[in-house]
Amino acid sequence: MWPIIKITYREMISKRIFTITLIMSLAFLLLFGLATGYAIKEMKESSFGNAGPDALLQKNFFSTQLLGMGLYFGSVITALLAILSSVGSIASEIESHQIDTWLARALPRYKYVLGKFFGLASMLGLYGLLMFFGLLAINQWVGGGALAVQVGGDQILKAAAFFVGMPIILVCVAMLLSSMTTTVTGGIILIILYGISFIGGFIEQLGVAFSNSSLTNIGIISSLVFPTDSLFRQMTISLFDTADDPLSFASQGIFGTTSPPSTTMLIYSILYGLVALGLSIRVFQKRDV
Amino acid sequence: MSDYVIETWELTKQYNGQAGCKNITLQVPRGSVFGFLGQNGAGKSTFVRTMLGLLHPTNGKAVMLGQPIGSVESRKKVGYLPELFRYPDWLTGQQLLEHHAEVCGLTHRESKSVIKNVVELVGMAGRERERIRGFSKGMQQRIGIACALLADPELIFLDEPTSALDPIGRKEVRELIARLRDQGKTVFLNSHLLSEMESVCNYVGIIHRSELVVQGDWRKLSTVQPQIELTVDKDSAGFSNELPSFVTESRLVRQGENRDTWLMTLDQDNRVPALLQQLIASGAGVHEVVRKQHSLEEVFLYWVQKKEGERHVADHQNHV
Repeated sequence: MWPIIKITYREMISKRIFTITLIMSLAFLLLFGLATGYAIKEMKESSFGNAGPDALLQKNFFSTQLLGMGLYFGSVITALLAILSSVGSIASEIESHQIDTWLARALPRYKYVLGKFFGLASMLGLYGLLMFFGLLAINQWVGGGALAVQVGGDQILKAAAFFVGMPIILVCVAMLLSSMTTTVTGGIILIILYGISFIGGFIEQLGVAFSNSSLTNIGIISSLVFPTDSLFRQMTISLFDTADDPLSFASQGIFGTTSPPSTTMLIYSILYGLVALGLSIRVFQKRDV
Repeated sequence: MSDYVIETWELTKQYNGQAGCKNITLQVPRGSVFGFLGQNGAGKSTFVRTMLGLLHPTNGKAVMLGQPIGSVESRKKVGYLPELFRYPDWLTGQQLLEHHAEVCGLTHRESKSVIKNVVELVGMAGRERERIRGFSKGMQQRIGIACALLADPELIFLDEPTSALDPIGRKEVRELIARLRDQGKTVFLNSHLLSEMESVCNYVGIIHRSELVVQGDWRKLSTVQPQIELTVDKDSAGFSNELPSFVTESRLVRQGENRDTWLMTLDQDNRVPALLQQLIASGAGVHEVVRKQHSLEEVFLYWVQKKEGERHVADHQNHV
């Protein structure tokens, strides 16, 4: 399996998509840093700099909004990279017949799938961690005392795990689609599934905010169809909800979470990924290439 | 140890009941160069891909190196050059071979010397550190052959191995195949370039419309229709009207100033002395008798046309 993991690393690094994504991610972090820098400058010059309760509320609202927004778009970028880099991992090799010489070796097919999975998941996990800690570092250091969200070490670790969980679930599902269909079809299906989860997450939050059970149910169903958004919500809960700030829950806005996912949902998300990966092995074992 | 590296029993791989290969019962002797001949689309590559576990058979069974096909064990000592040789173009030739060596379980030290050997063997020394992206098709085919030879395979499948090579490259591949045969390896050669296969193959299997027509030592297959070329005086041309019944067919193939050359087909290989005795007794001036050596192309066409004839008869009977 290790040679397949290695060649997956090499492939990702060699392909232009990874370099472009890295450059664009740096640009995104730079922009986020600039926005945070200007926000802090503005705050110091305005009434936000005062120590009154209103100013504290506004400051807290501003800091969690800004970090929540950064993390959300960071997760979207990570998700898109996960989709684009993994949905063709098997399918495109079948289409180009590059897979033939690998599978003609004494290499069990499950090792090929798992090699691809571990290679992609570890690379994207690492990318997700860099994105998460990059955003958090900007918030903490550039944001300084005024905009920095107060978080503890265990909160950060838990949130980082949920943040990294998203691309890993995406890779699991991408492996399934890649082992059963073409790159283009798999890509379209996965982007639609991600979109359902993405929109469903917002709908659910709005449903809870407006006490509309229909909207909430739509969100829950979309989370069952594709649970990546629930991982993002879990991440924001870990990072903000238990922060040493009683007002944080109210101040998260649209990128925060008013309806926290249950533990069952978390277990469901993990099982979802594992089942998808197991199915991808099963489907690929039986497939003609 | 079995004398056959490949044995199949009614092996079938069809797509919705069509094309592919059908009911292939085949034996490939160990240490042979086995040519699998057939027209484009006859099912040659489907058969090879089924043997290698890339396709799942729809019927029948097969063993390769004593192991059932589809098992990892059956592929442990097998090399493969696909017809559509495509390799990750972002790798260098060296990196490609290193990855394959690793999959084959070679240690770093082993792979270094093995890669050096195979690269030299296929004439790619000095170019192996270039990216595959910059390789010509011929170079890609050469690196593909190197890849197939990496793990010191006992059985090597070469699917159209010279399709992208120039005449020098083709000659080198023929020499390489002969060298592999001398080392006791079995080469399963898929090709429709019969003239190329003729010089290297000792066994052949002919596949036509997905079905195996015949298999065996191709020089023996050619004796199914023993023929001689007979050069006689022009004035003894009348002999052709009094030929014995064991001459199944005769036709004039060359006309000279004083002599004509006839091609005669005999019902058995041992009829030549009897024919000559009869001709001399009848006063024919016989100048030369040459046993006709059939080319592989002629053998192939003979068997394919025979099969087609049988098919037409069967079709006709079905209509009646």
